Parts: sequence; C-alpha cells; structure tokens
Amino acid sequence: MHIPDGFLSVEVWASLWVVAILILVVAVWRTNKKLGDRHVPLLGVLAAFIFAAQMLNVPVAGGTSGHMLGGVLIAVFVGPMAGSIVMGSIFGVQAVFFQDGGITTMGANIINMGLIGTILGYFIYQSVKKAVKGDKGMIIGAGVAAWIAVVLASAACAFELAASGTSPLGIALPAMVGIHAIIGVVEAAITIAVIKSVLKTRADLLKLPKI
Amino acid sequence: MKHHFLDQYSNLRSPVHALDPRVKIITLFSFLFFVIFTPITQAPKFALYGALVFSTILISRIPLEFVLKRSLVIVPFVLLVAIGLPFLGSGDAAGSYNISIFRITHSALLIFLNVLVKSWLCVLSMIVLTATTPFPKLLNGFQRLKLPKIFIMILSFMYRFIFIFIDEFGRMHRARDARAPSLGRIQHIKIVGCMIGTLFVRSYERGERVYTAMRSRGFNGEIKLTRELEFKRFDAFFFASFFSLLILILVVV
Repeated sequence: MHIPDGFLSVEVWASLWVVAILILVVAVWRTNKKLGDRHVPLLGVLAAFIFAAQMLNVPVAGGTSGHMLGGVLIAVFVGPMAGSIVMGSIFGVQAVFFQDGGITTMGANIINMGLIGTILGYFIYQSVKKAVKGDKGMIIGAGVAAWIAVVLASAACAFELAASGTSPLGIALPAMVGIHAIIGVVEAAITIAVIKSVLKTRADLLKLPKI
Repeated sequence: MKHHFLDQYSNLRSPVHALDPRVKIITLFSFLFFVIFTPITQAPKFALYGALVFSTILISRIPLEFVLKRSLVIVPFVLLVAIGLPFLGSGDAAGSYNISIFRITHSALLIFLNVLVKSWLCVLSMIVLTATTPFPKLLNGFQRLKLPKIFIMILSFMYRFIFIFIDEFGRMHRARDARAPSLGRIQHIKIVGCMIGTLFVRSYERGERVYTAMRSRGFNGEIKLTRELEFKRFDAFFFASFFSLLILILVVV
C-alpha cells in the first residue's frame, strides 16, 4: 500500500508530510537524549534487519505472497520512538531507491505503514500486556497490535485517497480494509512467531529499555 | 554472494551517470513538482514531460525494458482508483463509456488520467535517478543537500549491513530447504518467524559489537564523510537546460 506520487491532493500530502516530520523530530530528539552516541549503529543495524525481514515472502492465498511491515515488531523490541526512526528511514529508502511509494506522498506512507504501527501499535501492545500477565500478554498484545496496525494503515490510506478525491470512500475503504484484514493475520502470525522464538533464545532482548 | 536488487545499472558509463548527485536530486524534485502541479487537461505538456523523461533514459543507456518493468509498481493503486471510477464525479457521461450501469463521467475519467499519467511520469523519473546513481553517492548528495545527519548516518549503516543480513537469510533459507523442503502454510509462517527472530538476535548483537569497535577507535557520535563531490561545468549545463525546458513547457505550450 505504498501510495505513488500523483494519487494525493496537495493539501493532503503536504499536511501529512508536516505531521510525519514533526513526529520524527520528536523521535530523534528523545532517542538522542536516551541513547547518546550509541543510537546510530544500533538503529542502522536494526533498519537493515527490518529491511531484510521485509524481503522474506510468505505465501498468502491464491499464489500471492506478502511480507511483513514490522512496525509493531520493532517497537516491541526497542520502543516507539526508536522504532519510528527505523521505520521512517526504511520507507524513505523504499520510496527513493525502489519506487515503492512517491516522494510527495512519502509523509503519508511513513505515517500509514510506519508510525501507526510503531506508535499506535505500541500503545495497543502495552495495554494488552497490562491486562494479560506474563509472556502470554506479550505474545497476544503483539499479535493484536500487529493486526490492528495493518488494518488501520489500510483504512488511513483509503481515507487519504478519498480526501484527495481520487477514490470514493465507499469503494476504497472496504476494498483496502477487506484485503488487509487477511494480510494483517499474516503480519500478526509472523510477529508472534518472531517474539516466541526470541523469548525462547534471548528473552533478555525483549526487556531492553524502550525508547 | 551477488546482489542485484540495488545498484544494478548504477555503474554504467553515460553522461547521466556522471552527473553530480545533487544536480540529479534537484532536477528530479523540480520535475516532480512541475508534473504534480500541472492540470491534467493540458495534455501536450504531459507529452513533452514524457519526451523529457524518455530522452534522459535513452542518454543514460539503461535498458528501457528494465525501466518499464520497474514502473509497474504503480499498477495496484491504479486498479484501486479504476474500480472506484463509476461512483465518482458528476456531470455528463463521457461519450462512448456510457454503458447503462457503468456510467463513467467525464470528470471521473479526468481523475483517472490524472493519477495514471502523473504517477507514471514520477515513477519513471525516480527510476532514472536511482538506476544511474550508486547508493553511497546518492546518500552523499542528500547529505550535501542538508538532509538531517542522523538519517544519513543510519542509512549508511543500513546500506553496509543489508547485504550481510540478506546473505544470512540466504543461508538460513538453504538450511531450511535442505531439511524441510515442503511445509504447510502455518509451519512456513512459524519457520519464517524463527528465522526473523534469529536474525534480530544476531543483528542486535552485531550492533553492539560494531558500536564497541567504533567506540574503541574514537567514535564520538560524529561520522565524517570525506568524499567530496565536485560540481562540474556539465552539471551546470545539464541543470540549466533541463530546467529551462521545464519552464518553456510551462510557459509556451
């Protein structure tokens, strides 16, 4: 759901760019304060990790395949702010180097597929984790958050298209949300599988300070 | 291992490849803005924009087939807009498209053309930029154009490690295929999850090691990229002619 250039009206893409930049500025500032000079190598390596993870395709249905977004996953590991920087960098690279998404629409894409997962998704994950105790809460929370993040991302995309007058909401919303309700299940399943495997091997990495 | 997903054609030799990355970035951005802000009703202008892009592709010697194939990334979105068309816009039906249920109005058709033409031109121009510029050079260009330093540093790290991780994934893949060649869907997802989990653990540890290694060599949060770019006369000539062509199209056509 990388929106290409030309699909959003000026008002929509410009305001989403402003919002994305504001959030990223706050994220950079907070991460800098907490991590100091450690953040650059760590975030760079994690960005490469998410990037590589996105290249692993999983069969979805009818010969199609999808890959994970990873916003919720990275936020569960290192926290919403550091996760936002990682996702912002990744979507920037995907737009510029792989033409997955446009330049003018980059703000919208960073918000939809990155920040909704890292910030809203992390919030959902935290609330579920509080309600359900132990490792189970962590696993359920991450799964639920991953599914909701994907569905919300597709809904946001539909709303942005509708606000730009390119596609009526009555068509775009059910089409996008319908497809992504299924894709979201895959995202949730992978996110859960990753967390389970890390819980088994290096559970301490899930207890890192969150930024 | 060889990796072809990045920098596949960026080491060819052509006048476009030789341009300063800053010039290419600025030219691309001005082209995008001209395309995005031109009303779709002015068809001749778009034809000329297209001519500009395609002549740049010709000069750059990138295979046309590669560029066209790459530009297919916009198709899913074009389809999404297409299925919404019969329900969009008001006014007269566009002549021949008036089929009882599917009454596509003239304004809806314009909306469709608008997204199709503009997104395609933009994608083509982006492909020219990245297919003619190696990643580190492009980053250097963005750095000199004052993109926030933290992103430049993160991205240059990412570029260094991405290949290592993809190789690691490749090895895990081979190991899996050798031991469990056919898996059900659920099993498949579980295995992919384990692979990603393993990769996370390894990459986190690697990040720590790299940091200590850098620290012990005097790293204090500043990365100094010393490769200087030089602005040549041809760069100025290219930018001036491309930009004046854009202005000409805007004013004259």
